[in-house]
Amino acid sequence: MLNHREKRRYLAIMYDDNTILLPFQLHEKIAERFKELFGAINCELAMLKLYDSKFGNILFVGCKLKYLDYLLVSLSMTQPSFTVVSLSGTIKRLRKNVSSLDIRNIKSIAK
Amino acid sequence: MSKILDLDVIGIDSSYSTNMKPAENIILRMDKKQHPFSHYYPYLVVSDNVKTLDGKTDLFLIDPFQRKDAIKRKIKRGVGIEVSIAFSKKLDASLVGKWLKEVKSIYEFCKSNNCQFVLSSGATSVNELVSARSFESLLKLIGISPINYWNEISEWLYTKNKARWVHAKS
Repeated sequence: MLNHREKRRYLAIMYDDNTILLPFQLHEKIAERFKELFGAINCELAMLKLYDSKFGNILFVGCKLKYLDYLLVSLSMTQPSFTVVSLSGTIKRLRKNVSSLDIRNIKSIAK
Repeated sequence: MSKILDLDVIGIDSSYSTNMKPAENIILRMDKKQHPFSHYYPYLVVSDNVKTLDGKTDLFLIDPFQRKDAIKRKIKRGVGIEVSIAFSKKLDASLVGKWLKEVKSIYEFCKSNNCQFVLSSGATSVNELVSARSFESLLKLIGISPINYWNEISEWLYTKNKARWVHAKS
C-alpha cells in the first residue's frame, strides 16, 4: 500500500476587528456555511482545520486541495464577511507571506 | 490592498474618494457624470435603477432575483451588468442555489446581448472584499471560465476608459 498523503492548502483569512466572535466560533461559522452549501460529506472530507495565526484579526484555516474551491466559495458567501489575504501549501510559508504583508496598514484601511 | 487580493484594479464608490490619492489601480464608481474627481480617476457611471438607465450608464447593478423583462428592453450593447456577491451572503443555502442559477442566466443573457458580465464583491468595507482566487472559484462553480472572464472584463474596461484615462493622465 502506498503511503499517499493528500495535498492541503492553508488560507490566511482576515475578519472584522469588531466582531464579538472568537476564532473557533468564526471557524464554526465557516464550516456551517460549507455544510449548508456543499453538504456534510464534502465538509468532512475537506478536513477543515483552524490554526493559530498569531496575527490579530487573521485566521489560518487549512483544507484539502481538492476542496479548496468549495472553501473559497463558502468564505465569500458567509456572514460575517471574510477576506482571503494569502494562500499557501504550508503553514510556515503562509506565516511568512502574512508577515510580509503590511497588516497594520490593512487594519488602518479597514477602520 | 489590490495587490493582496491579486486584483489589478479595484472599483471604489465616489463618496469614498475624497481622502485618497489618484492611482492607476482605482476606478471610481459614480452615479453622476460630472463628479469633481472624474478628472483624476478613470470612472464608470453606475446605476441600479432601470428607470435611470440611459446611454451614459456604463454599469448596471442587477438583483439576480428581479424580473429581467424591463432590463432586456432598455439595456444597450456594451453596457456592463454587475452582480454583487454581498447580496448572497445573507441568503440561506437553497436561495444561494437559486442565486447561482440566476447569475448563470444573467451571464448567458450578457453573452447573447453583447453586454459585459461583471461579478463584484459589493463590499462596503475592506473586510468584505473578495480576492481574485475566490472570484475564480465562484466563476468555476457557476460554469464560467475564469480566464475568459478576466480577458473579457479587461478588454471591456480598457475600451470604456481608453479616452478618459488618456485625458486623466494628461
